[in-house]
Amino acid sequence: MSNAIETNQLTKRFGDVLAVDAIDLRVGTGEIYGFLGLNGAGKTTTIRALLGMIRPSAGDVKVLGQALGADGRGPWAQVGHLVESPSAYPELSVRENLDIARRLHSKQNSKIVDEIIERLSLGSYADRKAGTLSMGNLQRLGLARALLHEPELLILDEPANGLDPAGVVEIRELLRALVHDKGVTIFMSSHILTEVDRLVTRIGIIHNGKLIEELDTQKLEQLRARHLEIQARDLPAAQLCLQSAGYKFTMKNETIVLNDAHAITHPDYIAHILVNAGTPPTRLAVEQQNLEEHFLQLTGGVR
Amino acid sequence: MTNFSSALWVEILKLRRSKVALFTAIGFSVVPLIGGLFMIILKDPVKAQSMGLISTKAQLTAGTAEWATLFNMLAQATAVGGSIIFAIFTAWIFGREFSDRTAKELLALPTPREAIVGAKFVVTALWTLFLTLLCYGLGLIVGQLVDIPGWSGELFRSATVDILGTGVLVIILLPFVAFSASAGKGYLPSFGWLVLTVVMAQIAAITGWGDWFPWSVPALFSGAVGPRAEFLGAHSYVIILLASLIGITATFYWWRNADQTK
Repeated sequence: MSNAIETNQLTKRFGDVLAVDAIDLRVGTGEIYGFLGLNGAGKTTTIRALLGMIRPSAGDVKVLGQALGADGRGPWAQVGHLVESPSAYPELSVRENLDIARRLHSKQNSKIVDEIIERLSLGSYADRKAGTLSMGNLQRLGLARALLHEPELLILDEPANGLDPAGVVEIRELLRALVHDKGVTIFMSSHILTEVDRLVTRIGIIHNGKLIEELDTQKLEQLRARHLEIQARDLPAAQLCLQSAGYKFTMKNETIVLNDAHAITHPDYIAHILVNAGTPPTRLAVEQQNLEEHFLQLTGGVR
Repeated sequence: MTNFSSALWVEILKLRRSKVALFTAIGFSVVPLIGGLFMIILKDPVKAQSMGLISTKAQLTAGTAEWATLFNMLAQATAVGGSIIFAIFTAWIFGREFSDRTAKELLALPTPREAIVGAKFVVTALWTLFLTLLCYGLGLIVGQLVDIPGWSGELFRSATVDILGTGVLVIILLPFVAFSASAGKGYLPSFGWLVLTVVMAQIAAITGWGDWFPWSVPALFSGAVGPRAEFLGAHSYVIILLASLIGITATFYWWRNADQTK
């Protein structure tokens, strides 16, 4: 699999502040890569470097196989982007804002503007001035601009920002379809970890400018795996009961953890055998360690 | 559709939809109208007093009501008013991309940044040139309506050189405003630059170094302090061109190479 994005020791320093510290990123073609980090971790600086908007202090960036020049030149005809909060010319209509993007992408066919307006459900706002749009619709306009020229690679900074829950689902499905149907590669940052978890195939976590962990599909699956947690007043008796019933378990603090598929899908049966053994559970819950917990553990949670 | 024509189309659309174009046109149109008012007053001060146009304490030193006086006023107003209104327009063309946070939408595109900056410069030059012509054209109409004496073909030719030449010199100096609005990422730094150059131009002219200070040259060219041949030399025009080239180069360089974080 070729790399749509490749950085080698990408470093960016603003005066004394080391915003990005020697990051090596590899995003394969057709991947959906989630880029997570706390505020100020270096996400947007990395994204701006990927788009040639800032010059690396050290290291290099390749996008779609092309090294970015110091003058910001790159394969931008094949790249769509949304950086930080969406913006538009407030006195121009939604359609005119998109027409500007179309012209600057040297696209002759003006129908693509109507198509993207339709696709992003902006039809009823097409002739409204962008300055009067809600945050959610402004975000849709930003996404429409990113998708207008049918790029091979999408670099999206917080694509779900400002969208209502239905909008979040709609955009998720749109992005998923782009990847599956057209082989588009997506590199996205997001604060909405559940959203990232549902969409991405790989995750990179940046903290204090460093890429501290990458989670591939397998690790993500492990994270997403469910387990059954049991607490009882007489823990040794409960353990003995489960052992006799043939279940393997581990202990986490004062909790019995079962990863057994049958146990997870039949917690009522587990409750039944524990009750029959005279050690009824005080707590029985199917849990799933989520990305959020993992992320907070890694980054130290609330700063 | 070339990159440059696309960028130019975009800049013209933004200009057409903006109120800034209208406001600058209205603002600069006031200049010939005030000139016409002065001509009415100078033509017949007693009648102007009776009409309530001026108070009895008024002391008008603008000269006599004739075409030469009106043309002189228009040339000076183009130097001073143009410096301010053209700079505001330039600050808007370049600075709005940062105030509206749209600059980031202009950077990672197949249309090179040079085409976008070039289009901005072209629109700035064309609109400010239009404002200069508007001011001059309205001045001619106002002069006709007020029916002031002293018209001659020779006067018209020299006034055209004075007024349009002054306008062009003011326009030539706008790239520094473009640079300060770009590097300062908004309108305010360019307004600071405008105030600084207006003040420095006054000081340079008063201290007799105006011919060496680019921002003093338009006012000296307009005849504000006397015949320009007495105050300006070839070096003055070379310096103003050099200043313009430095401003243009700095603006292109900045858009091409500087970190874009807004």
